[in-house]
Amino acid sequence: MRKPEFIYVTYIETTPEKLWEALTDGDFTERYWFGVRLRSDWKAGSSFEMVRSDGSVSDAGKVVEYDPPRRLAYTFVNLSATYKGEPPALATFVIEPYGKLVKLTLTHEGFAEGGKFLDGVSKGWPAILSGLKSLLETGRPLDVPYAAMKGES
Amino acid sequence: MSKLEFVHTTYIETSAEKLWQALTDGDFTERYWFGHRVASDWEPGSPYQFVHGGTETIEGNVLMADPFRRLVYTWNGCGGDAQREPTSRVTFHLEPCGNIIKLTVTHDHLDEAGKTFRDISGGWPMVLSSLKSLLETGHALNIDPPSAAIREAACA
Repeated sequence: MRKPEFIYVTYIETTPEKLWEALTDGDFTERYWFGVRLRSDWKAGSSFEMVRSDGSVSDAGKVVEYDPPRRLAYTFVNLSATYKGEPPALATFVIEPYGKLVKLTLTHEGFAEGGKFLDGVSKGWPAILSGLKSLLETGRPLDVPYAAMKGES
Repeated sequence: MSKLEFVHTTYIETSAEKLWQALTDGDFTERYWFGHRVASDWEPGSPYQFVHGGTETIEGNVLMADPFRRLVYTWNGCGGDAQREPTSRVTFHLEPCGNIIKLTVTHDHLDEAGKTFRDISGGWPMVLSSLKSLLETGHALNIDPPSAAIREAACA
């Protein structure tokens, strides 16, 4: 039985510093993360929230690790009724220089057995991280319909 | 049959026609697939090969070619240990999604303990990252990887 986890690796033509900013700065995340701003003081143990453009909080958890520009880890769970009762799961971003590129590895783990949240994030991350790569390489985010993130695979 | 599979989804600002060409045209694959040229007539049942520096690296047969939508082929590595691995299968699924294309690559029929699974798990993210960059920016990624990664890239 394999661990219930989601792993995604992508290579981006950027610097670790720019990628770090893109992952942690609300002004930046708003551009590629379907309008979501990340909100936290980024101290280990502090609260971590995803804030929609209307000011409501979609997802919440805690900061676990903040080691710029190498490792970022936080827990979160979506607050909608769909995932009621599921624990915050741990997302860890590892940033590695790779020649003139940066290798970004996301590991998302700690999901409840039989829960729905793993399936939800498995659909969301590819759209978010594709948009992140495009924004850093072309200066423009992708126009991914929000439905793609929710929709069938 | 093992249920082990590797799935990677990426969203690319391009058209289904250009992405199809990028997957099936050797002049194109050479640019983002780290020098590997693919060749086939892309008829169901036909063979295809990837060749790098005059050496065949991957070969198999076309199982399905539904232009601009779905491409499926079998996958056999040609070098050393890979020849002892079972034949696996690769499916490219192209879906228009607003003004971009959602590309889902599924590599299945893999042997859990095998070298192929390790290699392709490292290789597909490189190849697909480079493909996305080429289609969106006009240039592929200049991956200057350590030797282990060169092997991975060569195998996926």
